Amino acid sequence: MEHLLTFEHVAVRLGQTPVLHGLITEVSAGDVIGLSGPNGSGKSTLLRAAATLIRPTEGKGTVLGADMATAGPQTRSQIGMLAHEPAVYGELTLLENLEFVARITGRPVARARELLDAVGLKAAANRRANHASHGMARRTDIARLVLTEPKLVLLDEATAGLDEAAVELIATVIERTTNAGGAVILVTHDAAYLDSVTNRRWHLSDGTITEATA
Amino acid sequence: MKSRYIFSGLAVAGLAYGFFLAASHPPDQLQLEFVRISHVHVASAWVAFLAFGVTMIAGLAWLATKRFVMDHIAAASAELGVFFTGLALLTGMIWGDAVWGRAWDWGDARMASTALMFFVYIGYLALRRSILDPEIRARRASILGAVAALQVPLVYFSVTLWRTLHPTPSIRPDDVTMPTGQLVAMLTNLAAFTLVYVVFTTWRTRQISTEAILEARDASELAPAGRTIEPPTLGPAT
Amino acid sequence: MSFWGQVRELVKKDLRTEGRSGEVFLVTIPFGVLALFLIPLALPNDQDLLRSIGGGMFWVVLLLFGMTLTFRHSESGAQRMLIAMLGVDPVARFAARVISSTALLLAFSAILVPTVVVLYQPVAPPGWPQLSLVVLLVCLGLAAIGGLAGEVTAGLQNRTVLAPLLVAPLSVPLLVPAAQAANSLSSEGSILVPALITLFTVLGVIVIGVLTARSLEEASR
Repeated sequence: MEHLLTFEHVAVRLGQTPVLHGLITEVSAGDVIGLSGPNGSGKSTLLRAAATLIRPTEGKGTVLGADMATAGPQTRSQIGMLAHEPAVYGELTLLENLEFVARITGRPVARARELLDAVGLKAAANRRANHASHGMARRTDIARLVLTEPKLVLLDEATAGLDEAAVELIATVIERTTNAGGAVILVTHDAAYLDSVTNRRWHLSDGTITEATA
Repeated sequence: MKSRYIFSGLAVAGLAYGFFLAASHPPDQLQLEFVRISHVHVASAWVAFLAFGVTMIAGLAWLATKRFVMDHIAAASAELGVFFTGLALLTGMIWGDAVWGRAWDWGDARMASTALMFFVYIGYLALRRSILDPEIRARRASILGAVAALQVPLVYFSVTLWRTLHPTPSIRPDDVTMPTGQLVAMLTNLAAFTLVYVVFTTWRTRQISTEAILEARDASELAPAGRTIEPPTLGPAT
Repeated sequence: MSFWGQVRELVKKDLRTEGRSGEVFLVTIPFGVLALFLIPLALPNDQDLLRSIGGGMFWVVLLLFGMTLTFRHSESGAQRMLIAMLGVDPVARFAARVISSTALLLAFSAILVPTVVVLYQPVAPPGWPQLSLVVLLVCLGLAAIGGLAGEVTAGLQNRTVLAPLLVAPLSVPLLVPAAQAANSLSSEGSILVPALITLFTVLGVIVIGVLTARSLEEASR
């Protein structure tokens, strides 16, 4: 079975600062991996490396069959990521943000409104993102993930500041992704949530991963 | 090591001889004694153009090969380029004041363009200082260097394209209008200044490379970023 | 989606964002017009003097104030990440930025021209419609230089002061031929050579921008 993500002795530096080193692991279809570790341990850096937003400084990694060191827009378009801050354009409405994503990725534009309704933002669709709450912007982000149907989903503290219903939405996205043969890596400090949605656990400390039984 | 001293010695000797020739040839018919400043001015301007060309080429070489010594050469060359551009402007103003009666003339496109080239490379050095990550710094600086180097041919062609007070080139492939004594002095100073540039660029490149090696060595001894945060020890208020 | 499709969507998004925020039309352009108004107040009340500098003032204000418009995009880290993760070609992103900035600069120029005519009353050179070609090239070149400067300074704390320092001198190969073109027309000469120099500069910057777009995007993630 081809792995969706592999790390072979991968190290990552940010500037001169070593952040990750000696990463050896892989991710397969159906994996839902909970990534934990103290603040500043490099969890976001690991996710950004998996998203090919930063390149490994040593070692070799692959994501969706492509070399992490050279992967381009084509590979990245199959990865979905929710970072700390919602990725929306403040001057566009929530609906326009999603329609922009639909058009630029070649998805049906009508799907944007359907998904916005599905995440509970029907009444807020025409609200500008910079007038929307963090929770609304985050739900728009979640709708974006569903719209783009990525094979690898990376969630960086995506549940922070969300109500119960929105946290459930994240769980739904995780289920949809794995049912479609994808995988998820999720960072959260909510231990109970990790227990409920993940089937593997990575603990990051001293710049390297220790796999624990889920 | 030996070749370094030989080149340095040649540069010093070349400069001394060039200055001697500049001081000893007969005065110019029109510019009188002030023509002697032109030897430093022209040589400085030539080296400034050369330096910025090297910055561009070295930057592109870094983009192609990712060898950091190329980035170090680009940085060193830009620093020298700023110095020699400043020297060209200063000597140009002294020359202009003596020959034309004014240190600065806005009708002189080449002088104005050279001054702007000076600011472009100040910006280049400011950009390099603003970025700590060596790879990001090398990447952005090399691209800026390539764009900035577009200005160099513009500065040169401005003399012929825009009729200004600045003398048209006296040394053209098909004709040389300069007296022999002046010509020899000018060419000697051109060669000497070029050698000075090469020597200083080599020294400075070596210095930058050494600093980078030391930084990398210090960084390799750094603990991973995560170890810099420790468990808190703050207790409840008593 | 195709390359030009991505460019089209990004341009639409940029212009829509600008239309809503009003940063260019409510701040940058009025500021530029204000500068044109202030300059004569600092000079002797000499109509001939103003008439002679009017054309030059147009180019200088277009360049100095127009450049701030070209690196108005200070996208957040999350927005940059979004564009990267949507699989947008970095070259498409650069092209879109240049096109949307050019459109805004042309709008800026369209407002500056009547302002200069009213305040400075310059003598229109014969064949002045040809100057519109030069204005277009200058706007395109300034958009490209500003776009590159924006990328090169992305994420830096001193971006707001460093980017203008980079753009202003690099825009001189646009400014000088543009002014030369107007002078040529006034003396019934041809604008061919200045236009060609401007064109060369614009093409050079655009080629560099296209070739380095991917590399610069990586350096700013």
